[in-house]
Amino acid sequence: MVPLIRSAMCDLLPAAGGLPGVHDTGITAFLTQLRRETTSLTWVGLCLGAVLYALTPVLTIGVPLPSFMLSPERRDRHANGITNTQIYLLRQAVVLLKMYACMCWGQDANVRRHFQIAPYPADPGTFRASS
Amino acid sequence: MSHMSFQPRGAEVTADADYIVIGSGAGGAAAAVTLARAGAGVLIVEAGPWRDPEDYASSTYGALRDMMDDWGSTITMGRALWPVVQARLVGGTTVINSAICVRTPADIFEEWQQGHGVGAPAYAERIWAWQDMLESELCVAETGPEAMGRSNQLALKGDAAAGYDGHVIKRYAKGCVGSGQCLQGCRSMKKQSTNLNYVPETLMRGGSILSCAPVDKILFDGSKAIGVTGRFLHPQTRAKGAPFSARAKLGVIVAASATWSPVILRQSGLTHKAVGAGFRSHPGTGVFGVYDEPVDMNTGVTQGWASTRFRKDPGLKLETLSIPMEMAISRLAGGGRALMERIAGYRHIAMWVHALRARSVGRVDVGWTGRPVVRFGLDEADMRRFREGMWRVAQLHFAAGAREVIPGIVGLPYSLGPKEVDAIATGPLDPRNYVAILSHLFGGCTMGADPSRSVCDGDGRVHGRDRLWVADASLMPDNIGVNPQHTIMAMAMEVATGALRGGPCP
Ligand SMILES: Cc1cc2nc3c(=O)[nH]c(=O)nc-3n(C[C@H](O)[C@H](O)[C@H](O)COP(=O)(O)OP(=O)(O)OC[C@H]3O[C@@H](n4cnc5c(N)ncnc54)[C@H](O)[C@@H]3O)c2cc1C
Ligand code: SF4
Repeated sequence: MVPLIRSAMCDLLPAAGGLPGVHDTGITAFLTQLRRETTSLTWVGLCLGAVLYALTPVLTIGVPLPSFMLSPERRDRHANGITNTQIYLLRQAVVLLKMYACMCWGQDANVRRHFQIAPYPADPGTFRASS
Repeated sequence: MSHMSFQPRGAEVTADADYIVIGSGAGGAAAAVTLARAGAGVLIVEAGPWRDPEDYASSTYGALRDMMDDWGSTITMGRALWPVVQARLVGGTTVINSAICVRTPADIFEEWQQGHGVGAPAYAERIWAWQDMLESELCVAETGPEAMGRSNQLALKGDAAAGYDGHVIKRYAKGCVGSGQCLQGCRSMKKQSTNLNYVPETLMRGGSILSCAPVDKILFDGSKAIGVTGRFLHPQTRAKGAPFSARAKLGVIVAASATWSPVILRQSGLTHKAVGAGFRSHPGTGVFGVYDEPVDMNTGVTQGWASTRFRKDPGLKLETLSIPMEMAISRLAGGGRALMERIAGYRHIAMWVHALRARSVGRVDVGWTGRPVVRFGLDEADMRRFREGMWRVAQLHFAAGAREVIPGIVGLPYSLGPKEVDAIATGPLDPRNYVAILSHLFGGCTMGADPSRSVCDGDGRVHGRDRLWVADASLMPDNIGVNPQHTIMAMAMEVATGALRGGPCP
């Protein structure tokens, strides 16, 4: 499932206008970590979103092919179209993909530098033991 | 034992105390410290881990993972699926909130008295007295101009032009430096979340805490609450650990939040239809203003300006809010290159929000996984007021000099200029066209004089049960139209004081 989710996220946040895309900000490592750490519910939601994203170019641009088989230009139109679809549940499924893609992208030090924001220190993930 | 964290599978862990307090957030910590100050032995049982400021995550990803209840995956089950945001760690939602402190308005007590038979003038006086004390102990102050940041300064400017009677927000923060990180926890220890004050004080006074210890059930002897049981849960692996069981000599106080307290009561055999009923909220959403000069809304205090001018009519609170950059950009509509073009303008946008005192009422049920299911949606009248809130926020942006606004409403253009802004006021009424969140939650174990319509009496004591009280947001019989933490903490102190007397307040 990781390749399918990654493919959708890379469409949603491509490199453009001098900004890196999510492809350039460690998306594979991010998804591997997410898969390991998140709840089943969140992961299932992302998988569902990725499947729906892949299967719906027919609804957004009228092309009966999965998104990963489209030309870059058509993929871009699909990525924009699906976020504005009138089908609420489809839109929500893609919102989740987009939200996690933005998390990966926005925590990247190069991206933050571009916007003059200090890089994040590493998240310690620690907690207090018994005392 | 003063603090016991996760215990791996093995023999049952046992503990006892005079009082057990379930949850360590706004309500739980305030109740616990009140009991401890009176010399009672207190055991806090908290579902989440104890994270100190040096343990806090900085990224949104880390905050979701380490601080939020189930990765923030709770959503409303209504026409629209809106996130219900709550934290799960020692300190509860006070760790991730903006620490805005607002005294309970007098009209709220009048409404409670008329509608629910609770909240008499003497009660209101006692709540305000607790609030006086909280304000001094938790260093409530206005954010200084040096920490405001440009987004908040712009709101002040817009307010002066639009006449919204706004103000610099008072917060539980000592020397806030305006890092804009409240929602991920204040690593510089300026924000006075309860994990930094009332929980440690409870321990210092001889109390104890189990963390990573979600309570499954309250134990009863007949109608008398005598303890709690549960099983440790590892906060990272989610592995189940040892079972625990704790005995309370004098009583159990439930303060696990508006979503979890009704679930715990139900799982403990309280099947009355009032348990879980009366769930209310302040759903909120943001409108971005686009400015010619950079705003850099990630700098400055997370929330620095607010207006309560529209609290009574139509029921709105307006505020500034800076959310982390990665969250802000995910709110911009579109995907692909179109989205990237919009993101490129990030430095020029400011997000301001409204929270609606919704009249719609929902309920909390127990889902098949044992987690809360929040059934809630806005009716048409609320949607009209919700829409008006967005329009008012947009007007404020224009008064502050915004070039355009980004309303984020499906069905409307991506951005609107000053002449097009009324499109928001006549926008769609379908909640599915809006992105909103619920962060102020109320009810589910409401107090009231009538046991057939409420769960607790006016002192927070569960009707028909002995030695069992509720002391969190779930107790509130209605929403209040202002930020709730101050009211919750004062009410919890009042409940704990009643519990110490073992009976109803005079
Ligand atoms: C992002 C955000 C910003 C906010 N900003 C403000 C603000 O600026 N000002 C304001 O007044 N209000 C604010 N609020 C609201 C405010 O934080 C809450 O209303 C308040 O914290 C609720 O208090 P509570 O005690 O009911 O619940 P919480 O503070 O959520 O505490 C409940 C505790 O119970 C624990 N718990 C849950 N289930 C169990 C169980 N089974 N066993 C043991 N423990 C359990 C939880 O882990 C948690 O620690 C904000 C809320 C959010 C989400
Ligand atoms: S704005 Fe920063 S310094 Fe101020 S209270 Fe929030 S996290 Fe702490």
